[in-house]
Amino acid sequence: MIKELEKLCLLDGISGDEGQIRDYIVSRIKNKAEIKVDPLGNVIAFVKGQKRAKNRIMVSAHMDEVGMIVTYINSDGTLRAAPVGGIDPRVVFGQRVRVGRNDTLGVIGGAAIHNLSPEERKQSVPFDKIVVDIGTDSLEESKALVSLGDSIRFVSGFESFGDCKIKCKAIDDRAGCAIMLKMIEEGREYDTYFTFVVQEEIGLRGSKCAAYSVDPDIAIVLESTTAADIPSASGGDRVCELGKGAVVSYMDRSTVYDKGLYAMAFEIAEKNGIPCQTKTRIAGGNDAGAIHLSRGGVRTCAISLPCRYLHSSCCVIDSRDLDSCFVLSKLLSERAAQL
Amino acid sequence: MNTKELLSKLTEPMGVSGCECCAAKIAAELLQPYGEAKYDPNSGCVYFKRSHWNDDKPTVLLDAHIDEVGMIVTYITDDGFLKVAPCGSPDARCLLAQQVTVYGNEKLFGFVTSTPPHLEHDNTKAAAFDDIYIDLGISGERAKYLVSLGDRVLIENKLETLSGSRVTSKALDDRSGVASIILALDILKDKSTDVNIAVLLSSQEEIGERGANMGAYNIDPDMAIAVDVSFAKTHCESGENLGILGRGPMIGLAPSLSRKMSEDLIMLAESNGIPYQLEVMEGKTGTNADIIGVTRGGIPSVTVSIPEKHMHTPVEIVDINDVESTAKLLAKFCESVYVDL
Repeated sequence: MIKELEKLCLLDGISGDEGQIRDYIVSRIKNKAEIKVDPLGNVIAFVKGQKRAKNRIMVSAHMDEVGMIVTYINSDGTLRAAPVGGIDPRVVFGQRVRVGRNDTLGVIGGAAIHNLSPEERKQSVPFDKIVVDIGTDSLEESKALVSLGDSIRFVSGFESFGDCKIKCKAIDDRAGCAIMLKMIEEGREYDTYFTFVVQEEIGLRGSKCAAYSVDPDIAIVLESTTAADIPSASGGDRVCELGKGAVVSYMDRSTVYDKGLYAMAFEIAEKNGIPCQTKTRIAGGNDAGAIHLSRGGVRTCAISLPCRYLHSSCCVIDSRDLDSCFVLSKLLSERAAQL
Repeated sequence: MNTKELLSKLTEPMGVSGCECCAAKIAAELLQPYGEAKYDPNSGCVYFKRSHWNDDKPTVLLDAHIDEVGMIVTYITDDGFLKVAPCGSPDARCLLAQQVTVYGNEKLFGFVTSTPPHLEHDNTKAAAFDDIYIDLGISGERAKYLVSLGDRVLIENKLETLSGSRVTSKALDDRSGVASIILALDILKDKSTDVNIAVLLSSQEEIGERGANMGAYNIDPDMAIAVDVSFAKTHCESGENLGILGRGPMIGLAPSLSRKMSEDLIMLAESNGIPYQLEVMEGKTGTNADIIGVTRGGIPSVTVSIPEKHMHTPVEIVDINDVESTAKLLAKFCESVYVDL
């Protein structure tokens, strides 16, 4: 699953520009599922199990990642960039990026620190002052390389480090995609719909339509969620911790989760010795927010991978948590099918 | 080796101030074909004498600093995170979401921590060294075994090509200066000059020109050129008092510099069709020229600077053409200089 995750993370797919990642996912599962790509670009894959499910089960993860988009080309050739998804402007300053279809390399910087006043040095550079420098000196030179609306992606390698830790861009939520690919690969006991959805980062848009089309009885959302187990946070503010297993939430900013499924997830985890934790703070939100409100309502559970530095070029996870999420998702989805 | 390959080779090794050894040794190897280069572990500097050295001839010193800005470990928490302080003055605004290398007992990967949005209510405040930790993904016990206080930490970006003749990397400040000196020696390879050419690749410039302090004393030259980088205009700046990328070396004019050397350089650039810009500074220069100028009984000094964008960040940018023009100017100077002893 780590090799698969690496492959998925290194492909690009800013919200609204998920073509590359979608093509790869379709190529991986086309022989194992009935696939439909819907008008928004969601991949809806029906996998026939050995048995018919009592409930229609939907397992969902989003394909898109946060990034930026080119909004204007300045006369000196630099590019204006706006965030796509929730990005702290401070995590883009000083980074390398790739722009548009030609993968043009650019860097994000500004006036040298030496030339700023003591007051200015204490301030971050907001998005309306952030420019991407691709090494050109004029509008004409830049226009030959990039266009308005081009995606701007982080340059970030896939690295294993420390004790079972992994770092890359886009782990949110290629980790969920990797888990679903492995579930499809292994085959299912019960019929299951898998949805690889678009545009989560700009407002849970793909999942809303996918849930409408699938019309599930029960949905399980696979996500990556913020872990703040760093020295500057303590107690409940840490939310969840790396190495402590799959995260199952009772509530976040978009959803109050189904109590029965929540309890069932912990019961399965305990019975099977799967490390499992819940969040210690109402933080984050995910596609469950759109899915649980679909049509007349859907019983929904979210299983999340704890991830440090979410929404930056350096997402950090523990590979043991990825395994915990996989096993728990698999068992919970099979159990939910026969409720 | 073309200029880009040379820059790539020079910028790759670690050389945070006070730990210049790796970078210095690689640069010394690149100087060796043109004379005698030696890394001095006491000062951290590389000393070089060009072939055909003659003690009766006057000596011109070409200086560039080999150190780069970085970080230094000051504390290790019980759960394995590192606190760091700046070594030199790296741009703290670049800290978040960076991959770093920790030069402990072994090379370790780490990442700069950032506070997640649910706990951060003010993202208008720039990141500061006091707010961040280095995440090594290991236990406190293991961290304390592998890392010692005082170890260096560096954001490492390998050299990459941008559009046209531009390149981006860490440490272009001042390995571009080192590159231009090596290229100048290559231009002069089969030529004899009326002066000895000494090169000092100085340590600890970023923490106060300390390598040049020792190096210039040891070499005792008759005149010196400090080859460094200087500020090129970026998008949000007006351009006053800044260089422009791609328009050639910036020749320094300042009360602390030798006016005659500045004028000679301008004349040489003009007569040889080498593009150049002027950089006027009102007192000292913030380069090694400040300290070399007052070494021993005083040494006439000047600055020649390669324009650079985003100084002291992991995404510095220079133009290859500027590095090559600087080399041409340095070579012409060494060929034509007349020293009245």
